[in-house]
Amino acid sequence: MFKRIFFHGLLAAALAAIAAIMYNRIYFFATEADFSQIINYGSIIGGSLFVCIIAAFIYFGLVKWLKKNGEIIFNFIFSITSFACVMIPISISLPLDVRMPELFPGLAVPIIFFPAVA
Amino acid sequence: MAAIALLIASAFTVIKSQDWKISDNYAIKFDGGDPSGEFKDLTGNISFNPNDLATSKFDVSIDVASINTGNGMKNTHAKSDKWFDAEKYPTIKFTSSAITKTATGYAAAGTLDMHGVQKPVVIPFTFANNVFSGSFEVNRMDYNINTAEPNHGGQKFKVDVTVPVTK
Repeated sequence: MFKRIFFHGLLAAALAAIAAIMYNRIYFFATEADFSQIINYGSIIGGSLFVCIIAAFIYFGLVKWLKKNGEIIFNFIFSITSFACVMIPISISLPLDVRMPELFPGLAVPIIFFPAVA
Repeated sequence: MAAIALLIASAFTVIKSQDWKISDNYAIKFDGGDPSGEFKDLTGNISFNPNDLATSKFDVSIDVASINTGNGMKNTHAKSDKWFDAEKYPTIKFTSSAITKTATGYAAAGTLDMHGVQKPVVIPFTFANNVFSGSFEVNRMDYNINTAEPNHGGQKFKVDVTVPVTK
């Protein structure tokens, strides 16, 4: 069972990373705001893997512990956590050489939800 | 005869201050803990000659709207009427009235015009390799900047100015 959940976590990470990379490119072409110093292939793939693998572990634990309700609780926790994480790109201070920090939340906020959606 | 003429001419030589152009890679950084950041747009006239401080003068201004704290939300707040009110007071201006030599470099005494308030300030600075470097402290309360919230962010800000110049 853990193997299957872990594999699903990896698959979700891959899907979230692909969606984030595509969105990152579209956002750059639309706004010409370059945030590659913070959000780039490495940070997207690494972040997606980290979040989805951790989520897979939590999911495994909850399903094992709470059986049927585990999935519901997991979805609830993942959604709430994703919403709470919206505060990170809004409140973070970027390096001063990054231009147009006003546009950073527009890029980062949707990306935060990609792991949960995946 | 020529030597005498040269001697007489040199006696009447007037040392004039050198006008300097501000190079692009200048930095005006401020640090009040939170927030900290920089201003991007500096313009003005710099006339400086270490051998003739009496005619040396700084007349520079900063575009308030060019403030960058690294955070879009803070930038918007900083420009709003609650803080700098960039629409009503679009520039921060420093005009020197006297430049003197000090033990560590120079000191420019003058008026800092910010948020509609003019205050006398003394900015210590150095000049080496065509770069002006100065550091001084500004208390936002002295300039009536968001006096309603004295504990919102810092009150005292350390300002570090580095301005490379060319002839």
